[in-house]
Amino acid sequence: MKFRPVRKFRKSLLTRYVLILGIAFVFIPVMIPISFIAAWGVNVLLNPDHYGHEIRPYGTGKQIEAAWHQAAAELEGAQAETINAKLREMKHRYPDAALYWVDTAGMTRLQLPEQASVPPQWSLEDTIAFMKQRVDADPFTVVAFIGGDEQAKQGFMVLELPRKYMVIQKGEQFSDNRFYGVFIAILLGAFVLLSYLFFSDIRKRLLRLEAGMTRPGPDGLPSPIEEGRPDEIGRLELAFNHMVFALKDSRQREREEEELRKSLISHLSHDLRTPLTVLGSHLYSLRQESLSEQGKQSLALMETKISDLSGLMDHLLSYNLLSSGRYAMSLERLDILRIVRESAAAWYPVWEKNGITADIELPEQPIYWNVDAQGFRRVLDNLFQNLVRHAGSGRYAGIAVEPYEGTTALTISDHGPGMGSVSANGGAGLGLQIVDLLLREMGLARATISSEAGTKVYIYPAAKLSLK
Amino acid sequence: MPTTHLLYIEDDPEIGEWVSSNLEARGYTVTWLKHGDQAVEKAVDCQLVILDVMLPGLDGFTIGGRLKQKYPKLPVLMLSARTSIDDKLQGLKFADDYLTKPFHPDELAARIEVLLRRSGGIADPAPLRIKHLLVYEKENRIIHQDTNEEIVLTGKQFHIFAYLLRHLGQILTKEQIYEAVWNEPYLDGDKTLMVHIRHLREKLERDPANPEVIETIRGIGYRVRT
Repeated sequence: MKFRPVRKFRKSLLTRYVLILGIAFVFIPVMIPISFIAAWGVNVLLNPDHYGHEIRPYGTGKQIEAAWHQAAAELEGAQAETINAKLREMKHRYPDAALYWVDTAGMTRLQLPEQASVPPQWSLEDTIAFMKQRVDADPFTVVAFIGGDEQAKQGFMVLELPRKYMVIQKGEQFSDNRFYGVFIAILLGAFVLLSYLFFSDIRKRLLRLEAGMTRPGPDGLPSPIEEGRPDEIGRLELAFNHMVFALKDSRQREREEEELRKSLISHLSHDLRTPLTVLGSHLYSLRQESLSEQGKQSLALMETKISDLSGLMDHLLSYNLLSSGRYAMSLERLDILRIVRESAAAWYPVWEKNGITADIELPEQPIYWNVDAQGFRRVLDNLFQNLVRHAGSGRYAGIAVEPYEGTTALTISDHGPGMGSVSANGGAGLGLQIVDLLLREMGLARATISSEAGTKVYIYPAAKLSLK
Repeated sequence: MPTTHLLYIEDDPEIGEWVSSNLEARGYTVTWLKHGDQAVEKAVDCQLVILDVMLPGLDGFTIGGRLKQKYPKLPVLMLSARTSIDDKLQGLKFADDYLTKPFHPDELAARIEVLLRRSGGIADPAPLRIKHLLVYEKENRIIHQDTNEEIVLTGKQFHIFAYLLRHLGQILTKEQIYEAVWNEPYLDGDKTLMVHIRHLREKLERDPANPEVIETIRGIGYRVRT
């Protein structure tokens, strides 16, 4: 799978956040009228009686005033009946208004309708008090001299109209600025909420990614995660998945290589051993013939060499596996004495046949080391084999447990000519190399003390030494 | 006396020729196949199968598995040039023994004999002669030749001796014997097995202080040899 990050500007997280900010800025001029309208709408909803009343077409205060003054002026020189008639006519025009007139003598004349608060006889004080009271008050009051001015000496007429029946004038309207603030706050809140959602979404996706990275799947590798939107995090997820796949691929390749190597070695082993077997079979057949003493010796030598060659092939192939790190070790806490005894049991007949006396002094108490059972057997096999091949002349195989440099060591000793001497059988190097490789893998170490009187191999846990 | 019939599957003509003639010389009837296609049919009247791993067509592991599925009691000996421990372990999952090439024909013959003895594949086996004892494995009878009397063993003693006989010539550690006979993990310092061996020796040996039948291999374990 080829992975190429696609940088699309409109898919970027940055773009999205800038977009949110931009919308917020653009909305400021729009937001204010919207909040006005919304505030008004809410006011309408909350105070329906304020707005629900029918507003009568009386006009503004000024219009009413003008109409009243005009009506008064028209009554210049009129009789009381005419004035009464005019008032009744005006009452038709302003049915919600209270009308009355007062003559020059201060007598209250026609009242439409009758009102208790109107004094029947107006004193000067009453008049002044009335005028003071009614300035900018509710009801809206218009007082006009009948006949146009006081010179007519006809008295005055009064119109009282509750202000709620008048057309609302600017400045008079009901308003509540709190709602405006609430709407601004709501819009700001929406912006904050959007930002919060934006970041919490990012956070959630990052956490998911983290979980995906840290939680291993069944094969020990992290599992691929579901890819989300193709923004920065999406690309990160994609990159992560790409990495997981690459890792899986490489793991798979490694396994295949391991299998290939193993099968190659199996085939090699087969191909090398088959001719050896055939060779051995012919030697065996030859042995049935009558041969001279020298011929028999040659045959014996050839048979030994065949078995050496086969052992060497084994070494070579295991060394190949080991040195390439393809030898699977599974370390377990095991009683090594048990493995030693089993291995010695297998080698005992060989020692007997070669006239080697085994001196095995192992304690009853187990010794637990972290070893791979197969690997440890292989170590012992190689050491025992070396003993038979190169130190058989000593006629002695000693296996014991001894203290060594502050730890416990397993010792394998012989009375052979020592490793300094040139062995007639050669080829010990590879076997020991394998021993060392295996021991290192198991955290063990080997020390060898060799002289002409014999060789002693110590095997001990290396970790304890390194602590010193 | 009917001869023992062996099925031998080997693709290499030289090795096949040699092994078959060698085994025939030892008195076995050998059917030699160059590939495993007919192995299951041919194995019907055989007492043992010798199987190579690298074969044309089906490999030895597959054939061995099929044989064991069809005839669970038929002993299978893998004879292979593949020496890796993986191969051995894979083979021993079903096979009764695994011998690597090159091998000595005497070893092959010895292993065949052990397998046949263990499976009862020998029609009328001669009694096993161990020092002064005659052991009739089929009838579970042990005769002391000096007195011509039958030796009667207790259950555990019999199990221990039978286990040693099954691994004739092999040295067995006390852990191996204990775990095979008692079928539970050996505990360090457990003297049970030693006590049983002592009682066993009292019955089997001419001189229990100087045992001949059950040898003690110092530091390792015990062995019974013919």
